[in-house]
Order: sequence, then C-alpha cells, then structure tokens
Amino acid sequence: LLLREILNNSYQLSSVPLQILFHVNGIYYTFYFLATLAMIVYKSEVFSYPDDFLAPDLALLFIMAILEALRLYWGSKGNLTEEEAPLGLSLAMTVGSVILSVYFLVWQTYVLKADVIINAILLFTYGLESVLKVIAIAAFVS
Amino acid sequence: TPDTSAAAPAPPRRGPAPVTDVAKLCVCDLLVAQCDVNCCCDPDCSAADFSLFTTCSVPIVTGDSRLCSQKAALYSLDVEANPPERVFKLIDQVNPSVFCIHATNYKKALSFSSPEMPTSENFDQLLKQFGSAAFSAEPGSWNKDIDAQNASDANETYRYEYGAPIQTVDAFLRLPSPVVSSWCSDANPAGFLVNQATKCTRSVSVEKCSNMQAVSMLFYVNSSILAVNTTVQSIVVQSLNGTRTLLNGSDVLRLPVILDELCINIVLGVSYHITYTGAGEIIAAAASFVLGAINKEALSIQQSFEISFTQVNTEPVPLSGNPGYVVGLPIRAGFRPQGYPFPVEISFAAFFLSTNKYSQLTILQSTSNQDCLAAQEARTPILFGYNMISGCKLRITAAMKCQPLTQTLLDLLKGQSFPEYVASFGNSQAQDVLDWVPITHLHVSEQRIYNAFQSSCQIPVSLEIEVKWTKYGSLVNPQARIVNVTAAITTTPLKQLPSGRERTIPVTSSVVFTDISSPAEPGYKAWPTINAKLPFDFFYPFV
Repeated sequence: LLLREILNNSYQLSSVPLQILFHVNGIYYTFYFLATLAMIVYKSEVFSYPDDFLAPDLALLFIMAILEALRLYWGSKGNLTEEEAPLGLSLAMTVGSVILSVYFLVWQTYVLKADVIINAILLFTYGLESVLKVIAIAAFVS
Repeated sequence: TPDTSAAAPAPPRRGPAPVTDVAKLCVCDLLVAQCDVNCCCDPDCSAADFSLFTTCSVPIVTGDSRLCSQKAALYSLDVEANPPERVFKLIDQVNPSVFCIHATNYKKALSFSSPEMPTSENFDQLLKQFGSAAFSAEPGSWNKDIDAQNASDANETYRYEYGAPIQTVDAFLRLPSPVVSSWCSDANPAGFLVNQATKCTRSVSVEKCSNMQAVSMLFYVNSSILAVNTTVQSIVVQSLNGTRTLLNGSDVLRLPVILDELCINIVLGVSYHITYTGAGEIIAAAASFVLGAINKEALSIQQSFEISFTQVNTEPVPLSGNPGYVVGLPIRAGFRPQGYPFPVEISFAAFFLSTNKYSQLTILQSTSNQDCLAAQEARTPILFGYNMISGCKLRITAAMKCQPLTQTLLDLLKGQSFPEYVASFGNSQAQDVLDWVPITHLHVSEQRIYNAFQSSCQIPVSLEIEVKWTKYGSLVNPQARIVNVTAAITTTPLKQLPSGRERTIPVTSSVVFTDISSPAEPGYKAWPTINAKLPFDFFYPFV
C-alpha cells in the first residue's frame, strides 16, 4: 500500500512546477535585488539624485525584498504541506509584489532600459506563479 | 532670446526662459539679425548665404545623450548640389546602451534649473543660504513653481544696457548709415545711449518716390520701439533752393506725393530723441523730420539721421566732461547779460536743425578759396586739447576805409557773439559763478619801428586764444580744468595805398592749449597722536 502511494502520483497534490518556479524565483530575485541596488548606486553617482527621491526608492526596494522572502517561504510551505491558507496568503502578497514591481518599472525616479527589462521578467514570473498557485489552491480545496 | 512686450511696474528680474526645442536651438547664432558665417542653424541666413559656407560649425544639436531616444537636429552642407545648399534633418537618435534613461519622474533631472533672482524680499534668505564658502544644492529649496515664473517673463520690460540694440516690434531700430561707400545701408542698429549722427546717399526717382519706404515718414514713425509709440516732434520743410520752414501742426503724417513733376514730402533727415529712465527703460521716443522735394533730374538725395538720448527729468545740455574736460569735446562758454548775477549759458539745443551750435567759443574755419569775405559764416567750435590754426587772405583796395575795415576784421576773427566767460570744468553749471573763467582780452600792436608819421589806422590781423589748463584732483585720475583764457588781438598799421593798387594781407587765428599743471605733491596723513586720557579718579587717595 505504501509502495502504491509512492508510485501513484495522483495522491500528491503539491505542484512540482510551482515548486520549481519558487526556486527559480528565489534565485532570480536575489539577482534582481542586487542589480537594482547597484543601479540605484550608479544613478546616484551619475545623475542628480536628491535625497528626497533616493530615500523612497531604497526603502521600497528593501520592503520588496522582505515581502518577497516571506512570500516565497509561505508559498513553498503551503505547497509542500498541501495547505491552502499559506498559499492564499502568498497569493495576496504577490499582489503587493506586483505593485512594487510596477513602481520600479514606471514610477521610479530614473527608469533605465535595464530596469525595464528585469522588471518585465519579474512581472512575467509573478504572473506565471499566480496562475500556478490558483491551480494548486483549487487542487487542495477540492 | 528673451520675450519683450508691454511694460509692467517693477517686476523682479528673471533670466530668459530656457529653449528646449532642438530645431530652434542654435549655439553659433551670435550676431543678432545678421547671418553668422558657417553657422548652418542660424535662422537669419538665406539660401544665398548658405551657398557661401564651407562647413557647418555646429553639425548636430541634441538634448541629453543619455536618453534612450531623443530628437536631434542634423545640419550639413550638400556640396554636390550647385549652388551648395544646407540640409536640415530632424531625426530620432537612439542610445544603444542598456543603461540609457528610459523615463524619468524627476522633472529637473535633465535641465539646469533657473535660480531665484534676488529681490529685496528674498535677499536675506538667499544670503543665508548661499553666502558662505560652500553650499549644497538642495533642490527642495529651489522655487518650486518655475513655470509660474516663466509665464510672468512675458510681461516684463526689457532693460537696456549701454550699446544694446534697441528692440522694435519686428526687429531692431535701425539708423541708415553709409557702410563702405556713401550709399545708405539699412542695417546699422541704434545702440542704447550711443548718440549717433550719420549722413548717407540714397538713390531716388520721382516715379518711384511714393512707393519707396525709406523716404516716407510712415516708415520711420511705424518702426515703433516696444511699448512706446514714436511721436512726431516737429516737421521742417525744405524747399528746392534750400530754405527751411518749420511747420506749425506736426501731428499729420505727410506721405510722399507726386505734384507737378516734383515729388514732395520726401524724408531728408530724421532725428530721434529717446527718453530713458535711470533703470534703463525707454519711456518715450520722438522724431523730428526734415521733408524736402525732388524734381525729375534728381537721381539721389542725401539723408541725415541722428539719435540722441536724454534721461527723464533732466535737461539735455551736453557736458564736455564730468568733471574735467575731455579732449575733443567743445569748450563751454557763456556771457553775463546786464543785470544778471550769473552767467547765462549759451545752450545748444539737441535738435540738429538749430544753428545755435556755433554760439560757443569758435574759431574761423579756413575755406578752400582762402577768401576772408566769402568765409564769414564758416566757423568751427574750439575743442578742448586740440590746438588749431586757421586763416584767410583779405584783399584790401585803396577805397576801403579804416573803421569799417577794422570792424569787418574783428567780426571775422571773433565771430558774431564772442563769449565773455568760459567754464572751467566740463560740467560747470550756469549758477556757479566761481566755476566760470572770464576771457582776458589783450591788444598787441605789431609795430617794430615807431614811426611818428605812421597812420593811426590799426587793423587787427591775428587772434590768438591761449587756454591755460591744469590737472586737478587725484593723481590716478586727474581732471582737466581751465584756469585762464586769453584772447590776444594783434594789430598792424594800415599803410595808405595809392589809388588803384590793392594788397592782400593774411588774417590768422589760432588756439593753443597750455598745460600749466604744477608737479604733484604727495599728501600724507597727519601723524597719529596719542590720545590717552586717565580716568578722573586715577590718583584717588592722593587727590
């Protein structure tokens, strides 16, 4: 009986693609965070970046990092324990991350072409994640 | 270029509004209303000018090159075409770098912000902020509504500096002047506070006189200086034989009209009088005209133009120096009429039509035919620092009597109204009696051998004016001051001529300026004294 459960995947509700995506997201976000931070330092050296504008950008970047860490932790936990509550919380936090990513894409003080590229990739990743999370929640609930 | 239009009461000064359109920016356009050489973006250049250029000094005008996509204006010369023509292209320039600025939400990021202009209200705050050795450029303290400031630029009066061209509605106030030859060129701008007087020749014909702008009064009245209407001050009509009459009513515009094979009301001279304030604004402009007539044979006329500036609430008496005389300016002279305690200055009006110009200290002017009697009207004013000598030849016949001859020669040498006083400084006022030096008259008789039987007729043959001046004031900036003026008339005995014979005698007049400045003495301050006062009760117990 145990062997059958192990071999028969239909008893496992955790979504493998979602887990892979979480993992990739974690790695990509580390790169994103470091790149955005480096570019903000570059902008403050090359352009006229007054403190009134630099402080919000940096603050939002760090908030986004914390949000992302929590979001990935709960998402991964929810997916592995097949519980919909953490996964739902993670989905809600994805909305916040999307808003922050749109901020860095459109409302930042200086938007470089590199910013546009990495934020677009991040938004695409979030979109894909959200779809997979919804499917996983549907699978867990039913 | 700054916007100019109607005057507003004393607004704070602003810098010019920034130009951000690349198609309109031109860094090599330095000459106003004229074509700059090899400047392909200059709007004042015509196609004929472009065909003479060799290269374009400014090939591209772009904004900040760090933007990902921006407009650029490209200027180049197409040398293949005949004649060479300028090619202007407006393209979108793309920055290939991945770190180019895609967008920015910080408006002042890519342009210089206009600093606040100091006024009496914000001066203290600006001094506190920028008055130390270093200050930080905190943009939060810049004036936030820059757009509101730029909008108020449009109503500001344009204040002129010395030499700046005077702006009119379409371009600049121009005073026609001769350039290379004596023909009139209409491109000479009038500079603020630069008094000019020019004469030039213009070709006219009776058929085209009513169409020519340059001989019509309307053209000179219409080129109105910004915010100020040019009023017509006076009109003098000159007839064909040269007599001039001043017209009574001067508010009617008289346009050239063909009448009986003559073209009348042709502008022969314009004299502008501009009134300005101490702040450099022009508040009034008046023009005086001389109109004449030409007949069918006339091919060209000579036009004279003049512009003079008067400060508001002052009298237009030109000074010859402030305070010392300036070399080359006429000596100011006057006379003391009976009953007046102060010398009355013979002031020469600023109108170029007045003949009072020659009521100053003048000297006979030599003419080409050297005939004294023909040259009675020609006199030239004595200019400070310029020694002059002039003369003529007088033909004496036996029939001339002594007394009328003496009087004629005296009138010739001294002129109609020889003044009695000369101003010692260039800016002496008529009320200050002590500033005026009386002219000393001397009589020298030229007889070497005393002949008891000589005739008693002495005729003046030479006038020598000697002006002694000294340097006055500080060592580094000495001012010229006239100390003494002597007019010496030399007379010679008139020998009786046998009847029928005639003699020619030379008559000379000269002016000599002598510097009698004493050598400078150094002036030292007084020795410092010890000013020690003991207190009242210093020796208290004993006193």
